[in-house]
Amino acid sequence: MSGDRQDFGERVRMNLGAVTARASVRIVAAFRERSWLLGETLFPILSMATFVLVYRGLGAPRAFESFAVLGGAMIAYWNNVLWSMASQFFWEKEQGQLQLYLITPVSRMSILLGMALGGMLATTTRAIVILLAGIFLFHVPFPWERAPGALGLFLLTLGALYGLGMILSSVFFLWGREAWNTVTLFQEPVYLLSGFYFPVSALGTVAASVAGFIPITLGLDGIRQILFGEAAKGFIPVVWIVPIQAALLILYLLLAHRALLVMENLGKREGRLTIRGG
Amino acid sequence: MRRTWETIRAGAWIGWQVEANWADPFLFAAFAIAKPLATTLILFLMTKLVSGGAVGAEAFHQLFIGNTFFLYVTEVLIGISWAVFRDREDYETLKYIYVAPIRFLPYLLGRGLTKIGTASIGVVFALAFGGLVLGVPIRHDVVTLARLLGVTLLGLIGVAWLGVALAGISLVVARHSINLNEGLGGVFYLLCGAVFPLDVLPAWAQRISLLLPFTYWLELLRRIVTGKPYSGILRGTDDGSLLLILAATTAATVVGGYFWFAWCERTARAKGLIDWKSNY
Repeated sequence: MSGDRQDFGERVRMNLGAVTARASVRIVAAFRERSWLLGETLFPILSMATFVLVYRGLGAPRAFESFAVLGGAMIAYWNNVLWSMASQFFWEKEQGQLQLYLITPVSRMSILLGMALGGMLATTTRAIVILLAGIFLFHVPFPWERAPGALGLFLLTLGALYGLGMILSSVFFLWGREAWNTVTLFQEPVYLLSGFYFPVSALGTVAASVAGFIPITLGLDGIRQILFGEAAKGFIPVVWIVPIQAALLILYLLLAHRALLVMENLGKREGRLTIRGG
Repeated sequence: MRRTWETIRAGAWIGWQVEANWADPFLFAAFAIAKPLATTLILFLMTKLVSGGAVGAEAFHQLFIGNTFFLYVTEVLIGISWAVFRDREDYETLKYIYVAPIRFLPYLLGRGLTKIGTASIGVVFALAFGGLVLGVPIRHDVVTLARLLGVTLLGLIGVAWLGVALAGISLVVARHSINLNEGLGGVFYLLCGAVFPLDVLPAWAQRISLLLPFTYWLELLRRIVTGKPYSGILRGTDDGSLLLILAATTAATVVGGYFWFAWCERTARAKGLIDWKSNY
């Protein structure tokens, strides 16, 4: 009994160590490669600026410009989930490191959790810069006094979003060159479905409901409602969004755990875990 | 000349294999049309929300044309320079092209042809979708189509040679060139008024915009397709003058691109950068 307890304690300690180690690598890497820092901040700013100017060109109310700025900041997280979370195992495979992860006695979930936490922290610096650029360069309205209320929903959304990233990473476990193209395929269509640049209610009930499975959709909708009230043209009330996001968080974590086991076993059987340039 | 053409053809074929052989035709077609379709619908919904449902508004038609044809800029411009990076860093085949009895520039132009082909799938689909589903009035008489084709090709020559110039930079710059190229794509999207009238840009940005060939290209395309001018600051410039400016800036891009690429290529060979491995 005492041995089991000691064993369990050792496993927890080891997995916590894996979380911390993977998160630190992510944070250090995010600031070491300066060209990525520039690219991950500048591209979304350019994109956000374009859509702010589209609204300005159309003579839209100023709140719409704020929607585009908020969407621009959230895009940093979606891109991080796609490029550095979902497809991470593909990069690791290409560099010949995936097998090192697989022979360690820690859960894959711990590695992904570390990746997610590190990714969230590193991406937050980008998102803040994008948000501030929108507010100070384009003078879009931003009700700071309501920001603390939106923060809780934002954190819940991030949890569910990175949970989805963990599921996607299990799928990318096996993919080769098509992973790159698939990630590209998930960019613009999700910008549309999740309403990054416009209130998602404009998609209509059916499309917006389906899009709700991408956590950013309802998260962004709720955050806009908290900040801008009626002007946000919300899809569903915020009081519904919170439990939905919490449910998505739990569901995605459970699914990710299962999917990782299944895909790893499949990869081992088909001998695809160590193939490079596939 | 025959050797050059064969090299272009081989480059285009390799490019096609790299671009398309990872998927079945249906998936590849979905990939080619996903981006233009998504951005078109984003702009459509933005306009619909602002105009309270009056989506037939002229504003959307102009945004639509600019956004659709700008796909060529992002795909071809970035695609050509990206080919250098991938061949050198990922596939590690750039050095083999240099030891083969061919010149690299025609090979690169062949890769550019592939990108023009794949981008054309997206552009044609988006135009058809805009015309048939979103009700954008697209003139399609023979004269209009001939003018559209001519101006599109002229613009594409400029886009491709600017891509060659960026490919030159990729030859002498490490992995960072990808960010540079993609960043420039974003800057052009913003500065040439692809999806908004140039008039909303600050005066200093408008001055830069008027130096870009894409600004005149998109304005001409809009006038040909919809029959109406868009940008306020170009309203006083007639179609003939726009064409002349486009032709002049394109010629300058071709000459500048050729010499710039030649200089970068010489530098890369002299410094031993052809088989450089700077990615991780």
